[in-house]
Amino acid sequence: MVEISDGVERTEMRASAPRRLINRLIGLFRMSPVAAVGLLIILFFAVLAVFAPWLMPHDPIQSYTNRILHPPSAEHWFGTDANGMDIFSRVIYGARYGFGIAIPAVILAVAIGVPVGLIAGYKGGYIDEALMRLFDGLRVFPSIILALAVVAATGQSLINVIIVLGLLDAPVFARLVRAEVLSQRSSVFVESSVAAGNPTWRTMFVHLLPNSVQGAMAQTAVRAAWAVRISATLAFLGVGIQVPTPEWGAMIRQGAEVMVSGQWWVAVFPGLALILLVFGLNLLGDGMQDLMDPRRRQQK
Amino acid sequence: MNLGSFLLRRLLMAIPMVIGILFVTFMLVRIGSLDPVGLLAGPTATQAEFDMIRRNLGLDEPLWRQFTIYVGNVLQGDLGRSWLSNRAVLTDILERSVASLELLFWGVGLGALIGIPIGLKAAFRPNGTFDQVSRIGSLLGFSIPTYWLGLVMLFVFFYLLRWAPPGMGRMSLMISPPDFITGSYLIDGLLQAEWRAARSAFSHLVLPVICMAIISAAPIIKHTRAIALEVMTSDAVRYARACGLPRRTVRRMVMRNSATPVITFVGTELTGLVGTLSLIEYVFAWGGVGQYGLNAIVRGDFTAVQGYVLALALFSVIVFLVVDVVVHLIEPRAGRA
Repeated sequence: MVEISDGVERTEMRASAPRRLINRLIGLFRMSPVAAVGLLIILFFAVLAVFAPWLMPHDPIQSYTNRILHPPSAEHWFGTDANGMDIFSRVIYGARYGFGIAIPAVILAVAIGVPVGLIAGYKGGYIDEALMRLFDGLRVFPSIILALAVVAATGQSLINVIIVLGLLDAPVFARLVRAEVLSQRSSVFVESSVAAGNPTWRTMFVHLLPNSVQGAMAQTAVRAAWAVRISATLAFLGVGIQVPTPEWGAMIRQGAEVMVSGQWWVAVFPGLALILLVFGLNLLGDGMQDLMDPRRRQQK
Repeated sequence: MNLGSFLLRRLLMAIPMVIGILFVTFMLVRIGSLDPVGLLAGPTATQAEFDMIRRNLGLDEPLWRQFTIYVGNVLQGDLGRSWLSNRAVLTDILERSVASLELLFWGVGLGALIGIPIGLKAAFRPNGTFDQVSRIGSLLGFSIPTYWLGLVMLFVFFYLLRWAPPGMGRMSLMISPPDFITGSYLIDGLLQAEWRAARSAFSHLVLPVICMAIISAAPIIKHTRAIALEVMTSDAVRYARACGLPRRTVRRMVMRNSATPVITFVGTELTGLVGTLSLIEYVFAWGGVGQYGLNAIVRGDFTAVQGYVLALALFSVIVFLVVDVVVHLIEPRAGRA
């Protein structure tokens, strides 16, 4: 968020720390209400994830065998599922899986995609050509299906889900960085860096990199939204994450079985949580893209 | 360039793509921890038995040789046998493809019918109220999990209101499907005046099609708006406006100039939407390729998974090709890139 609220920060330098944070948020609200609302939603879920043990009224995997499929009540706000587990607690705990999968997956995608894009864009030639053909080729496979098939084939564990999502998402970042590098490769600062005798790696990673990652960074929130959605879809199909896990997709899977017999609360609440978090990430991502590229919204 | 040579060039360009696709599907069953030999041999097998099974499956050959055998088999239409259905995978997929195409066609068609006008209207007055609302709506559409939407629709319209039939296939089991003409029960029923069949097929189509339309409209709105905005800032449109042409004429001009990129976008979007389609089929037990493939993934039937992924990728290649041809026909200049 530093890039976004930079302008605000400078004017509010002298204020106290909490005051400054609030001012920053207000500043963001002025610049992009959409991004600010998204950020608030994400913060809300982050609080749920971090403080889950204190916020949950019940143990998320404690089975109350005498309260199977109870509708929402004062004791169980979101009702109980077919195992007699408290859905409200499970929805809160599920926030941990949402972040726990999306954040490492996006970090992995950035860690792979950004250097690949940088090298492809700067070096050009065969490497570039081959990589771009490879990424083009991957586009004929729907990402969700490829993710499903690869996770199912390589063994079903949380780590595998994260690695596969990270790898599948790396081309997005590589493409963005490559495009930016291509447009800056022959600019004055790169030429002077080369002329000053910097080794190639230094020109690339110290000078070119900081000037070409903005577009990629603006995409991180949108890609995190994608990762949360896809990981929940995998769990819904029972690939990677198995059923009693308090993960939203897995909970919807449990709810799917009882939905048409009227027990709507099992699937509806985790679904709403999932929508809200993905929506928040998408709002933030959309807002971030506007802030980075003012032309996008100001065309009139 | 005439259409014949254009088509030939595009077909030639698709060949390396197809080889790449075959390589991915080939590797798909080899990257993992799958061990077909161990599965077949069982825990008590001796080393000699292991070796024999390996030889019989052709797994002792070098990898490139295995790949050429695989490509040869696929070219002859042999995609292997599914252990779930105990039938040839190709037969399974072909049989189910019509059901999937029917759903995809109506769903994305409706999605485009909703999405394109909304995107255009939003672009005509950027940052206006309509634009803001449609933007939030489209972001919401990006955020709703397909399968959850399907489940909620089933709950509301089947369980609560009893308006829709249960999410079990394309037609009531009590009615015999019409004879095969196009494969779409709805169209075939109408063509043969089998009203009961057509009605049943229609009522089974409604929920999955609406579901598909909602999910596919979101990206269509977003991109139509972006494309139309770009066109509106082009020199041609600015000139038309400067000449004082009436707003209606300018708008028609924007629409005509946006047509090609929008068609290209919707076409390429079909590729991504087959994933969504698969999930909808899964929730509504549609009996199409998507449901077949997801079941195969969930149950670990990897021959079928391989065939399914291959079928989807080839479908994308065909769609890209068709989009190219359509764009070429509308605007021959664009094809040269």
